[in-house]
Amino acid sequence: MSSETTLVGVSNLPNQRYKIVSNSGGTFTLMVCGESGLGKTTFINTLFQTTLKHADPQQRRHQPIKRTVEIDVLRAVLEEKNFSLRVNVIDTPGFGDNVNNNKSWQTIVDFIDEQHDSYMRQEQQPHRDVKFDLRVHAVLYFIRPTGHGLKPLDIETMKRISSRANLIPVIAKSDTLTAKELQAFKLRIRQVIEAQEIRIFTPPLDESETPDPAVMEHARQLIESMPFAIIGSETKFDNGQGSVVPARKYPWGLVEVENDAHCDFRKLRSLLLRTNLLDLVLSTEELHYEAYRRLRLEGSGASEDPSLPTRAPARKLSHNPQFKEEENALKKYFTDQVKAEEQRFRQWEQNIVNERIRLNGDLEEVQAKVKTMEEQVRSLQLRKH
Amino acid sequence: MYRRKKEHKRGINYSLMLVGDSGTGKTTFANNLLESPIFPHRFAMDAPQLAFNPRVQIAKPTMVVSYNSKNGIPSHMAQFDASREHFEPGITITSTSVEIATGAEQPPSRSSMSSEASSSAQSNSHSQDKISFNLVKTHGLGENLDNTMCFDEITAFLEQQFDQVLAEETRVKRNPRFEDTRVHVTLYFIPPTGHGLREMDVEMIKRLSRYTNVLPIISRADSFTPEELIKFKRQIMDDVERFHVPVYKFEVDPEEDDIETIEENQALAMMQPFAIMCSDEKNENGEYVRLYPWGEMRVDDDSISDLRVLKNVLFGSHFQEFKDTTQNFLYENYRAEKLSSVSEWDMDKEKGESSKRDSAAPSLSNFASLITTGQFKSTNSLAMPPQSETPTTPDSKEISQGVSDSPALRQMSQSIRRGNEEIIQNIKNSPRTSTPGSPDKSKLRNISETVPYVLKHERIIAKQQKLEELEAQSAKELQKRIQDLEKRAAELKLREKLLRQQHLNSSNTSLNSRQSAQQSMAPQSKLKKEESVTDLASIVSGKA
Repeated sequence: MSSETTLVGVSNLPNQRYKIVSNSGGTFTLMVCGESGLGKTTFINTLFQTTLKHADPQQRRHQPIKRTVEIDVLRAVLEEKNFSLRVNVIDTPGFGDNVNNNKSWQTIVDFIDEQHDSYMRQEQQPHRDVKFDLRVHAVLYFIRPTGHGLKPLDIETMKRISSRANLIPVIAKSDTLTAKELQAFKLRIRQVIEAQEIRIFTPPLDESETPDPAVMEHARQLIESMPFAIIGSETKFDNGQGSVVPARKYPWGLVEVENDAHCDFRKLRSLLLRTNLLDLVLSTEELHYEAYRRLRLEGSGASEDPSLPTRAPARKLSHNPQFKEEENALKKYFTDQVKAEEQRFRQWEQNIVNERIRLNGDLEEVQAKVKTMEEQVRSLQLRKH
Repeated sequence: MYRRKKEHKRGINYSLMLVGDSGTGKTTFANNLLESPIFPHRFAMDAPQLAFNPRVQIAKPTMVVSYNSKNGIPSHMAQFDASREHFEPGITITSTSVEIATGAEQPPSRSSMSSEASSSAQSNSHSQDKISFNLVKTHGLGENLDNTMCFDEITAFLEQQFDQVLAEETRVKRNPRFEDTRVHVTLYFIPPTGHGLREMDVEMIKRLSRYTNVLPIISRADSFTPEELIKFKRQIMDDVERFHVPVYKFEVDPEEDDIETIEENQALAMMQPFAIMCSDEKNENGEYVRLYPWGEMRVDDDSISDLRVLKNVLFGSHFQEFKDTTQNFLYENYRAEKLSSVSEWDMDKEKGESSKRDSAAPSLSNFASLITTGQFKSTNSLAMPPQSETPTTPDSKEISQGVSDSPALRQMSQSIRRGNEEIIQNIKNSPRTSTPGSPDKSKLRNISETVPYVLKHERIIAKQQKLEELEAQSAKELQKRIQDLEKRAAELKLREKLLRQQHLNSSNTSLNSRQSAQQSMAPQSKLKKEESVTDLASIVSGKA
C-alpha cells in the first residue's frame, strides 16, 4: 500500500505511449528493387500473407519490349489485433531489363530523394501538419541467384541506395542454389559489400541499450545470415506434419517458406516487421533523412562523391538521361524540319525571283517589239505621205 | 554416302555455342553435356578436378578467341576480387575443342551417353568415329551495364567464322587441313524469370540467328514448379511469335519425312523451349544430382528435365540437320550477300582491265558446278586435293599477285604493315611480284582469287583496329594501376617512416624492443612489395 502512494505515476508513461501508438497506428514504407522475374511480387504477398499485388502478365503483354524503369506505389492497411499498420509498397518494374542498363538506377534514387525533399518542404511550411510522407524505410534489393557474385549493376545501384535508405540485400529464388552453392554465394556477396563499402542495414548491436542477451543473440543471428536467401510462395501445402504452410511443391520435394533449414524468410520477416520495424523507421528518420537535409541545407558542391545526394532532385524530368536523349532527338528533328522549311522557302523565293526576271525579260521583249512596230508604223506613215 | 565416308575419315566436325546471361548455368551445362568437369566455374578455377569421362578428350584446351572489355583484359579467368567487382567485365568468347568417341566398343556409361551412342549408330553405320566437338562459350554477357558491346562482339565472331570458310572456299589452292569453325548450333540460355523474354533475349537471338541455328532453352528450371514451367514455356513461345524471334523450329515436311520423324519433330516442337537443370555433384550411383535440404533431384530425370532430350537432339536426331541448315541456308545466304558486295567492289577495281572472258576456263567450270550442285560438293572438294585446279594454279597465282598489286591495296597493306608487323606476315608474299594480270581471265575467276584476299584484308583491318583499341585501353588501365600502386607505395613509405620514428623513440627507452620491432616490420614491407609485383605480372599476362 505504502509503495503505491509513493509512486507519482511516471512509470505509467510507456503505457500511455502504447495507447497513443496503438490508436494512431503506424506507417511503413517498403521498397522492392531488382531485376524482373526475381519474385518481388510473390515475396510481398508472402510477407503480408495476403494477395496485395497481383502478378499480372496480361498487362505486360501489351507493353513494348524496351522498357523504362517505373515507380509503382501500392497502399494497404494491415490490421492485426486491433493495431493497424499502413503499408506502402513501392515496386520498380522494368529495372535491369534492357540491353543498356546504364543509369537505370536513376529513377529509383530520384524517387527516394524526392520523398525526402517533399518531406523537408512540408516541414518548412508555417503550418506543418505533415500529411504526405512516403519516405522509404527499407529497400529490399533482390539479387539474382547466379552463384557467381554481384554484377556491376547491382553494386552501383546498391551503393547509391545505401547512402539514402536502409538497404537490405536478399538473394531471390534461393531454391535454385544448393546449400553449398548458397554458402559460397553469400560469402562472396558479403565480401563485395564490405570491399565496396556498401552500407547495409544491420539491427543495432549495442549492449548498453539492450541488456537482454536473447535479443542480442537474435540480432547477431540476423547479421550472420545476411544477405537473406528467400523463397516466396502464395500457395499453401500440407508439409506432412499435419500443418498447412506456404511452400513450393517440386517433384523432388517440398520447400517450406517458413522453415529455417530451407531459407531465411523467417529471419527477414523478423527483421522487417517483428523486431526491427521501429529501428528501420527511426534510422530512416534520424540517419538518412537528417543526412539528406543537412546536405541540402548546406548546399551542394562540397562533396565529390557521386553516390551522395548533393543536388536537389530536379523538378523537371529532363535530367533523366533517357528523356534527355529523347529531347535531343526531338530538338534535332525540329531544327531539321525548320531547316527543310527554310530551304523550301528559299527555293520558292528563288523561283519567284527567276519568274520575275523572266517576266521582266518578256516585258522588255514585248516593249521592244512594240517599239519596232511603232517604228514600222511611223516609217510606213512617212512613206505614205 | 560417299561424302559421309569422306567426312568420317577426317572426323566429324561439330560446333556448339553457349550464349546467355552469366549465372544461368552454361558452364555446368557444358560439363554435364560432356560428363566431364572440363570447364572450371567462375571464381573457382582451382577447384578439385574430378574424374573425366574416358570418351572425351581435350584436343585443344580452352583459348580466348575474341574479347572486348573496357580495361582491355579478358576477364573470364579473373580471380574473385571483391574490391574490383564493380568494374564491368566486358565480354570474352572462348573456344574449346574436344574429341568424343562415339564408338560402341565399350558399354556406355549411363543414360545420356547411351542415347547419344544409339542415335549416332542410327544416323551413321560407322561406329568407331570421333567427333571433333568444338564448344564456344561466352563469358560476361549481361553483366555489363551496357551490353551492346557484347552483342557486337559475338556477332563479329560468328561472321568471322563465315568469312574464313568463304575465303577458303573461293581460294584457288585450298588448305587440306582447313578447320571449319562455323558454329552449327547455339543454345541461348533464358534466365528463369517466369515473365517471358526480355529485350536483351529478343535482341540477342535475332542477331545470332543470322549466323547459326538458335535453340532457346530455359536454364535452371529447378526454380519452377511443373505448373509454373508450363506457363513460362507458353509465355516464351508467345513472345517468340509476338516479336518474330527467329529461333530454330522443328518443322516437318509431310512429303519427305517418314512418320517416325514427323512424330518426333512434332513432339520436340511441342516441348520447345527445352527446360534443363544441371549439376556438378554426383551421388553414389554416379548420377548427377542436386542436393537440396528438401530433397534430391536427378538432372536426367525425364519427368522434370529435358536435358536428355536436348542431348539427343544435339548429338543424335538433329545432328546432321543442324549442320545442313548452317551450310545450305545460313551460310549460303551470307555468301550470296557477301560475294555480291565484294564482286561489285572488285568490278570497280578491275575497271580498265581486259574485258575478254574465257568461259571455258577450268576454274570457272568448277565454280559453276559448285553453284549449281550446292555447297556439299564444295566442302567435299575442300577435303580433296585440288585436282581440277592444278592446271591453272601457277598462272593464277600470278594473277592473284597482279590483282593485289593495285595501288589502293598496296597503300592499305602498307599502312597495316606500319601498324602491325606481325599480322602482315600472312600476306607479305603477295605484293612482292608485280606481273600484271594476264588479259584473258574470267570475272568469276577474279572473284575466286580476290575474295579470299579481300576478306582477309577486311578482317585484318578490323582486327588491327580492335587490337589497337584494346591496347590503348589496357595501357590506360595499366597506367591507372601503376598510379594506384605508386600511391600505395607512398603510403607504405610514410608508414615506414612513422614506424621508424617510433622505433627511434622507443630505442631511447629500450634497445631490445626496437630490434624485435624491426624484425616484425621487415617481413611486412616485403610482403607488400611481393603483392605489387604479382599484381603487375597478372596485368602483363592478362594483356598477352
